[in-house]
Amino acid sequence: MTEERAFAGRPLVIGLGSPDRGDDAVGPVVARAVEALHLPGVDVSVHEDPTALFHLWAGAKCVVVVDAIMSGVAPGTVVVREAGASSDALPESAWTQTGRGGTHAFGLATAVELARTLGRLPERVILVGVEAESFEHGEGLTAGVAGAIEEAVAAVRSELERACVGSVA
Amino acid sequence: MTHQLKDGSQVLQVGMLARVEGEGGMHIEIKDKVVQSVKLNIFEPPRFYEAFLRGRKYTEPPDITARICGICPVAYQSAATEAIEAISGAVTTPEIQTMRRLLYCGEWIESHALHIFMLHAPDFLGFDSVIEMAADYGPVVEMALRIKKAGNDLMTLVGGRAIHPVNVKVGGFYRFPTKADMLTLRPDLERGLEESFETIKLVSTFAFPEMEQPYEYVALRHPDFYGIERGTVVSTMGADFPVSEFPAHVKEFHVEHSNALHAHFDGKMYMVGPLARYTLNFAQLSDRCKEAALAVGLGETCRNQFKSIIVRAVEMAYAFEEALRIIDGWTDGAAPSVPVAPKAGEGMGASEAPRGIIFHRYVTDADGIIQDAQIVPPTAQNQPSIEADLKTAAQEWVDMDDHSLTHRCEQAIRNYDPCISCATHFLDLRIKRS
Repeated sequence: MTEERAFAGRPLVIGLGSPDRGDDAVGPVVARAVEALHLPGVDVSVHEDPTALFHLWAGAKCVVVVDAIMSGVAPGTVVVREAGASSDALPESAWTQTGRGGTHAFGLATAVELARTLGRLPERVILVGVEAESFEHGEGLTAGVAGAIEEAVAAVRSELERACVGSVA
Repeated sequence: MTHQLKDGSQVLQVGMLARVEGEGGMHIEIKDKVVQSVKLNIFEPPRFYEAFLRGRKYTEPPDITARICGICPVAYQSAATEAIEAISGAVTTPEIQTMRRLLYCGEWIESHALHIFMLHAPDFLGFDSVIEMAADYGPVVEMALRIKKAGNDLMTLVGGRAIHPVNVKVGGFYRFPTKADMLTLRPDLERGLEESFETIKLVSTFAFPEMEQPYEYVALRHPDFYGIERGTVVSTMGADFPVSEFPAHVKEFHVEHSNALHAHFDGKMYMVGPLARYTLNFAQLSDRCKEAALAVGLGETCRNQFKSIIVRAVEMAYAFEEALRIIDGWTDGAAPSVPVAPKAGEGMGASEAPRGIIFHRYVTDADGIIQDAQIVPPTAQNQPSIEADLKTAAQEWVDMDDHSLTHRCEQAIRNYDPCISCATHFLDLRIKRS
């Protein structure tokens, strides 16, 4: 019942966001789509609270996190960024640009950088961000974001192949 | 950043206020060192949900309203189930009430741990964020994550999910966890309990600005325990009435500068939340919690909102104690729910969300279809007192430079752990001097 996984060393895809708040659902939607591919040796998890990341990725070497972002580019734009222990720290501005769903005051970038400070960041963490347009309550994905699901799933697959090869325990 | 405006006055634009849940804006106007006005503007999602609930079945509010907030879904579920059960006349069993309290303990632990360590402590330790704090206080932040996870695991076990529990329904639960399942959490809960008492000692060493609140405090009082999942409404002015009379005392009203309705209690501003609970229900805390609170210098009442971080730590310890008490006393075998039939009528429910009283009212027809819904969340009720605190703070420390004054005002807001939940912009804080 706890959040630790049985195979902590396997590549892990985490979809972050609220399922019920417009484009914030894009992380879980993409993660579920990846899960439906039944990629061998890959675990998939969905969560709303970025503070859960510390326990979700404990023991993992390679993690792909999908989340909605607000950076001012066109809605549906897919952005991929390395953020793991072997990469540079995220810029401070990113703390306010990612992870705005769920526990807003403690977003994805805060979780990543806090984990880095505490030495609890997996070696490879790849953030797949999908630019959001709206976080309306009770709404589904906006058209622009819904249209980007396929590209985001492909980005997750490609990152799993590129970055997580060899990290299967 | 200071801007010169066309009217010659100065506006200090702070931009985003981090470490506050959700979206909002704040504007302080100071003229000749006298604070002229303070306006807090927040976006509050329940207005949308009230409309969304009309036409839905009487069984749906626990699931629908739990989605309003990722931090306090159990608060919404508890108030909603109580209100719907009141319409039906269904009486839940002591086991169901006890399990609701256990689930709620998980939420208090999670929410208080997040606010104490991740959002509030950096203010007192002189850090802009918990990331910087972690560099110097790594073990403390690790402890915070452990405590929060213990709350998470409790919510996952009882609620079925750590966020937006799916095991809750009108009339009780879909299933009860077994005692054996609950006992697996015991070691982590015991550790969390001891670490909460460490937390009380730690946060009590912070420096607290002197600022006493004169407002009326309002909280729920449980017949047997410190109020969490239900109770009657009591106040420091002597009010004491059942939740069904809440609308007769609490009037919501619109103010031009905020999207969230303000509220008055018997015509005056009031405050709900940890300080109100502590001040009104101190006697119902456990002996160990009382002793720990008194030992660090908290009195039996506390009216300094900056010290709410200590009160939250006491409540966090209490929630761990309660969780352990409930698990140890649990016996398997009771029915997890009672039948709740649709009925025409009006029902009300309230619980103590981590941030204070949350109140729900529903009107259903004979088929159980919701005709009207009203949700009064704690942060909306506290808007007038937050504004009053800000006015006091800005005036008291008006001679500070803009940077320091802004920080002090941000702290005054974060004292409330405002859950303006679920929006996309942070609070935009402006101080205008002329």
